[in-house]
Amino acid sequence: MLKVAGVDAFYGQIQALKGIDLEVEEGSIVTILGANGAGKSTTMKVISGLLKPKKGKVTFLGKDITGLRPDQLIRKGIALVPEGRAMLAEMTVLENLEMGAYHRKDSEVDKDIAQVMERFSILKERKDQLAGTMSGGQQQMLAIARALLARPKLLLLDEPSMGLAPIIVADIFKMIKEINQSGTTVLLVEQNAKQALKIADYGYVLETGKLTTEANAKDLLEDTSIAEAYLGG
Amino acid sequence: MFLEQLINGITTGSIYAIVALGYTLVFGVLGIINMAHGEIFMFGAFMGVVITSTLGLPLWLAFVAAAVITAILGYLLERLALRPLRNRPDSHLAPLISTIGVSIFLENLADKLFGSGNHPVQNSLSEASFTIGSVNIYVVQIVIFCISIALMIALSYWLLKTKGGKALRATAENLETASLLGVNTKRVIMVTVVLASVIGGIAGILVGMAFSSVNPQMGLSFGLKGLAIIILGGMGNVKGAMVGGMILGLSETLVVALGYSGYRDAIAFIMIIVILLLRPQGLFGTKTA
Amino acid sequence: MLGELINPYYLQVASFILINIILGLSIYVTLASGQLSLGSAGFMAVGAYTTALLTTNFEVPLLVGILAGVMLAGIFGIIVGIPSLRLRGVFLAIATLGFGEIVRVFIVNTESLTKGAIGISGIPQLGREILDKLEVIGFDPEILGLKANQFTFLIVFILLLIIVIVLVCFFSRQKNSRVGRAFSAINMDEQAAASMGINVTYYKVLSFTQGAMLAGLAGALYAHVLSYISPADFTYHKAVEILTFSVFGGSEVVGGAIFGATFLTLLPETLRAISEYRYMIYGILLVVMMAYRPQGVIDEQMMRWFKRRKGRRQQHGTENK
Repeated sequence: MLKVAGVDAFYGQIQALKGIDLEVEEGSIVTILGANGAGKSTTMKVISGLLKPKKGKVTFLGKDITGLRPDQLIRKGIALVPEGRAMLAEMTVLENLEMGAYHRKDSEVDKDIAQVMERFSILKERKDQLAGTMSGGQQQMLAIARALLARPKLLLLDEPSMGLAPIIVADIFKMIKEINQSGTTVLLVEQNAKQALKIADYGYVLETGKLTTEANAKDLLEDTSIAEAYLGG
Repeated sequence: MFLEQLINGITTGSIYAIVALGYTLVFGVLGIINMAHGEIFMFGAFMGVVITSTLGLPLWLAFVAAAVITAILGYLLERLALRPLRNRPDSHLAPLISTIGVSIFLENLADKLFGSGNHPVQNSLSEASFTIGSVNIYVVQIVIFCISIALMIALSYWLLKTKGGKALRATAENLETASLLGVNTKRVIMVTVVLASVIGGIAGILVGMAFSSVNPQMGLSFGLKGLAIIILGGMGNVKGAMVGGMILGLSETLVVALGYSGYRDAIAFIMIIVILLLRPQGLFGTKTA
Repeated sequence: MLGELINPYYLQVASFILINIILGLSIYVTLASGQLSLGSAGFMAVGAYTTALLTTNFEVPLLVGILAGVMLAGIFGIIVGIPSLRLRGVFLAIATLGFGEIVRVFIVNTESLTKGAIGISGIPQLGREILDKLEVIGFDPEILGLKANQFTFLIVFILLLIIVIVLVCFFSRQKNSRVGRAFSAINMDEQAAASMGINVTYYKVLSFTQGAMLAGLAGALYAHVLSYISPADFTYHKAVEILTFSVFGGSEVVGGAIFGATFLTLLPETLRAISEYRYMIYGILLVVMMAYRPQGVIDEQMMRWFKRRKGRRQQHGTENK
């Protein structure tokens, strides 16, 4: 479905990615692991169009999408929930959800919004509240719900569990699994490697801008060297 | 007498508020102060002179002409003076200096095109007035007030309720997030600058109607008044622009009524300095802009 | 012989170039600490009116008048500068623009003191005054083969040249001193500068006040060179013109102000056709510079290149001997 081939990316003079190759199968959950500053978020930025790669190619559903802007990519079916959730804090919960469906012109937007609010009852309760006033866990739910309203084929999640209480983290991972089961392909960047690998099909490990390991998630979970480095023993 | 002054103050205040809206919109979305806004406004005002006084055409056509000309100017401003500076981290002063360049260019261009000095504005409404009790009210004042309020309501509605307005607010809050949600932020920025310019152009016509005279230098003084208002009312805040406009309009009228008409223009500047020093976020602002 | 070479018109233009260099420096030194002042026309007016009023009404000596103008502009600089510390870049610029306009409106409205919009004429002329003093001790410009008015223009030019050279030396040295390094640290990152122990308040006010004093000095000199001033000389246009000297020439280095002021003063003088469109050209220049070369024509890299070349040539010269 998604193919990243030989991507180099820079922030100014600093090279953040060196020849990244990765692939995401339709219907799967793929996770990218790695330490802080390894280039995980940068990879997400390149795929979602926030950062233009200097070299390499990104293809999605067989089409070259390298260098397209985020607003063009969402129309092709790629949605990113960025790190830190990126709420529109001064807009209401409902407006945030509406913005999620911004690019859609079909008649089912209202129905979808109603459905999302049924699923996440907290969002319905607080629909007229400013998004900035919600708690971290609620904001993360809103961010994911908002991204789903774009009806993406591929959902990119950048550190969805960051800064959340463990009990909420479990909820979030359950949700990701559900989203995947309902037919959305997921590419997940996580610090919380163990949890991520448990729900993922396939995993990549990034180290200082390079991919060092890739394998089935199950194998990575059992790999002792990975366990030492990223799974906390 | 007092009531007449009050009506004067409200009329001018509502025009000032519209001038301020242009700054607010651009500041809200781009985070920059468009120093050329006053001069774009002045071009709108001159369309009033050209259409009604020079060509003798109806007033509504002046509004159309002003909207078209200022939209073009807004487009050029964005393309030539703002867009090339974007995505460059080096200086937050660059857009300010660049728009100062545009302002001085436009002012002198107007001087060459329309001639310096005051140009009278005439239209069928100028003289019409009626009296309630002892208060003499000009029809023009009512028209100006109504147009200002209508514009303000339309803009608020657009920002709050429409898809385009929401996209603009999303872009204003976070450009990156808006683009991830599918907003073509480049286009939103362009729309914002053009919209702000058109609103300025309409304000220009209203000023021509209210003061019956326009000149190429008016962009600076009105521009500074608009700035004073958004600094007073808070950046990126439509309600603040309205209230700020009224406060400035009424205090100017008060100063004139007290016999210090020469200092009328200084009020805005004093207001700028006092507010910036005492409450930089403005009267209604919550964020530090 | 010398008399034929001296053309009062050229000297006049040269004198204006020198005054404009001082104005360009006033922008340079405030920008050095990351502050943009649009109030230079206002400070200039303070300097000009102070000395004009003192010398015409109270027959104060010129030197005292000029110094008073500089001091008063400096005091205004501190008054505007201290509270403005709370303002971030763009807002400082607007506050200073407001200051400039208040000064102008005040001058226009205090007719009893400043003669309002009409302006003050008959301000003692710098060259004339010097000649008068010299004639007392028996000097006659004929000794140099000069007519009186040629001599006055010449002496003004020489005096201004000396002032500018002193100022340029001072600010070039300051740039590489503790003060200059503090300015550029604040310019780059105010918080980082503060955490390194730099007294940000002090240096920002210092830089702002230096700028104000330079503008005041330029204004005072302007008054005594032209012997006539009016509020129309100190408008927003003037502030933008001054800004253009520095932004076009180069706002990072002292040389930028020199080049900018010289080039932009000569341009309308040599190409008369341009003169009418001067401000439109300034406007275009500001936009183009911001888009393509925000640091100005002359930047630090270019200055280093000049120095290297000069160094190499000198080395060459000694080898040849």
